[in-house]
Amino acid sequence: MKSNETLRNILNSVLPVLLALLIGAILILAIGENPLEAYGIMFGKSLFTLRGLTNTLHAAGPLLLTGAAIAITFRAGLFNMGVEGQLLIGGFMAGLVGAYLHIGNPLLHKLVAFAVGASVGVLFALIPALLRAYFRVDEMVVTLTLNYVMMTILEYLSSGPFRDQGAGYVTTPTIDSSAMFTRFGSTRLTPFFLIALLLFGILWFLNTKTEFGYKIEAIGKNPEFSEATGLRVRKSIIMLILVSGAIAGFAGAGHMMSQEYKYTLSFSGVTGLGWDGMLVSLLGSHSPLGIIISSIFYSALKTGADNINMYTSIPKEIVAVIEGIIILFLSIRFLNERFGLLEKLSKKKGEKNEPAL
Amino acid sequence: MGTILQTKDLTKKFGDFTANDKINLTVEEGEIKAIVGENGAGKSTLMNMLYRQLEPTSGEIYLRGQPIEFNSPRDAIQHGIGMVHQHFMLVPSFKVYENILLGTELAHDKLRFLVDHKKEQQECAELIKRYGFDLDVNEVVENLSVGQQQKIEILKMLYRNVDILILDEPTSVLTPQEVDELLLQLKELKAQGKTIILITHKLREVMQVSDSVTVIKKGQIIGNVKTSETNEAELAQMMVGRKVLLTVQNDHIGQESPEVIYTVNDLTTNNTYGNIVVDHVSFEIKKGEIYGIAGVEGNGQSELVKLLSGMMEATGGTVHYKGEEITNLWADELRKLGIAIIPEDRYAQGLCKEMSLSANSIAGSTTSDAFKKNGIFDFKRIRQHCQELIDHYQIRIAEFEGNVSQLSGGNAQKLIIAREMNRQPDLLIASQPTRGVDIGAIEFIHQQILDFRNSGGAVLLISSELSEVMSLSDRIGVMYKGKILGEVDPLETSETEIGLLMAGTIPQEAVVYEK
Ligand SMILES: Nc1ncnc2c1ncn2[C@@H]1O[C@H](COP(=O)(O)OP(=O)(O)O)[C@@H](O)[C@H]1O
Ligand SMILES: [Mg+2]
Repeated sequence: MKSNETLRNILNSVLPVLLALLIGAILILAIGENPLEAYGIMFGKSLFTLRGLTNTLHAAGPLLLTGAAIAITFRAGLFNMGVEGQLLIGGFMAGLVGAYLHIGNPLLHKLVAFAVGASVGVLFALIPALLRAYFRVDEMVVTLTLNYVMMTILEYLSSGPFRDQGAGYVTTPTIDSSAMFTRFGSTRLTPFFLIALLLFGILWFLNTKTEFGYKIEAIGKNPEFSEATGLRVRKSIIMLILVSGAIAGFAGAGHMMSQEYKYTLSFSGVTGLGWDGMLVSLLGSHSPLGIIISSIFYSALKTGADNINMYTSIPKEIVAVIEGIIILFLSIRFLNERFGLLEKLSKKKGEKNEPAL
Repeated sequence: MGTILQTKDLTKKFGDFTANDKINLTVEEGEIKAIVGENGAGKSTLMNMLYRQLEPTSGEIYLRGQPIEFNSPRDAIQHGIGMVHQHFMLVPSFKVYENILLGTELAHDKLRFLVDHKKEQQECAELIKRYGFDLDVNEVVENLSVGQQQKIEILKMLYRNVDILILDEPTSVLTPQEVDELLLQLKELKAQGKTIILITHKLREVMQVSDSVTVIKKGQIIGNVKTSETNEAELAQMMVGRKVLLTVQNDHIGQESPEVIYTVNDLTTNNTYGNIVVDHVSFEIKKGEIYGIAGVEGNGQSELVKLLSGMMEATGGTVHYKGEEITNLWADELRKLGIAIIPEDRYAQGLCKEMSLSANSIAGSTTSDAFKKNGIFDFKRIRQHCQELIDHYQIRIAEFEGNVSQLSGGNAQKLIIAREMNRQPDLLIASQPTRGVDIGAIEFIHQQILDFRNSGGAVLLISSELSEVMSLSDRIGVMYKGKILGEVDPLETSETEIGLLMAGTIPQEAVVYEK
């Protein structure tokens, strides 16, 4: 039974990827190139060279955390879609700490920036958490909407009050070097990746070995049972959304100090690290190991895009197409998780429950 | 007039479970037919088959003598059968008339692709007037009370000209005033020639409006009576059954020095609609005593259990246990104090079907340190604990690592009982402990309860199965409309006496609670 489920989860994740790669291959063939060669270059360069691998791991750091932030709420049947906004405010505030508080001590400076990033993530997540727990307002709608509110606010702040006047584009000032993670040798990898991995490991441990994980699972699978056994569902819902916000804010702070060093309007990349995290979590079936694998795979895909551009005549947009197809398949899966889509579609006539009108 | 609707050996199975067993129902044209029965008796299933929302497994339905051939609610409505469900299907942001006409919007005379709102409003206003409803067509539905929303559901059907109107527990969500209004409305509809099928488990309503009553129990019709020839007490007895199925020996041994261990005093609470559902309930339980609560379902028993097991908050009154106040404590806190809880709904509250047996075996104890080592779950000990429960209580499982969904109803219930009794409690709150389990498991569960009592434990037993309460309890409180109306001794009382109490009448001999 258990192993069947695992197998199904793996299939659920691997199939969309394979299908997407297959469709990608057909497109590559249509351009007149060899898909095997293209994929070989793409994954070979991003996974099997030191430089590529370290780039990939470096990019996977924040994804690991945003993926975890999504997963803990999804597992509990909550849908925190606000990870992107929480990451942005976390990154932005860490950027201000880095640029305006001249703490000097590298360790302390980073700690303060992390603390501030995580705290603002929590504060921002407090809105949907309270609305959900006390007024039963759908957290999915609230968090989705708040992302855009946050983006707009940060756009104003970074182009107005906190703009680096010397720069020719919209950005906050660069953070002090004491707030920057130093890279390992000539790679782009920084200690932040290890910190992300460690935090991820702690979450994994809490999730599988403690009451925290039991609560998440029970609330996700049967809230009434959870209440009846004294698990304080309302309090737990608030706590989970807040923890999710903290992780997202922390990830934003880490991204600021290990990669961006300043807040620009493209701080979180084209697709957005929070959204990527959702994809990673869905792809990894919200399981710890799954999230590690999928975050590395996903960032390999992204790093690989540049290599495709460099070494073949295939346009790098092919990677965007593949990503898009994966997202499409995963959205079906998401809709299914959220609204029981497949179940509704496959419901037999004898059991239908919808009214005629 | 004559028969308008008839079923012949109508049967519905869900898998192996028979929800309706050879139902032969007859409804006369122009009557109000009441259908009564406990929760889960199969009333909704039967109605859903009449409304063509469920496909019968076997049997026929005749409408005015003709076997029906249509197959969807839409067709049923066209043939004059309409149904109002327990849960409304309205669009909250739409106005009243828009909801009434949903799906059959009236097109504009000239511009066919537009909706003629004016004409719609007019037609709805006329409809509302014709049937004497009191409703503003232009009000937005989300601003309306539950009672008013229900009227819209009824109007939806009337607009589509149904002859037979099925109402599935229409009064369960209404305030007493709204109930009276609805009942008047139903009489008015009957006067206008409609046939009405009313599902309810409130006997007062049955007596007030219906012409005939059909009682359903466990998927079978167990009685058809004319309302004028029966009374509430008789109906109450029919609903909860009179068969005493006790197979275990109850010695009714009294304790030497009975010490009160559990005291409930003036406990009161409202439901989410603001109605009082538990109304100044008081009782005591002594060590070595089983206190039973009987009553027709829906009279506050479920809510009382929820209050006492930490799932609902009391608005007034107190609960004391071993001299300590425990009102409104959480479920895990109650368990830590030595109270075992068997909740009413096995799969909704007692167990989590999609979690493993061992995870379920520690439910309710996860906040304590019993199964942890330095705050971390000790899985070896948890598995061992689960295995012990399985062995000791003879729970039949297929796979140890699997989920609870593998268990049959009786074995699932045994797992709950094993988990709860294993904590060595001093008080057991058991709600519907044998609902839907097989005979063997019933016997086992009854024996467990009696053994616990005989070893000095106190038991609060809530059951809608009258025979169960009668044969196990040492004292019985009868609930009616949220109150404990009277207390009786099962060895001395008669079924008539309990029946009267369940129907809300206080017989002379009963000990009446001083309030
Ligand atoms: N779709 C279904 N699948 C399986 N069992 C069902 C389904 N619908 C109802 N049942 C079962 O059939 C029985 C009768 O249910 P129902 O007709 O809703 O009872 P009532 O309306 O009298 O309370 C219950 O035991 C219920 O669990
Ligand atoms: Mg029903």
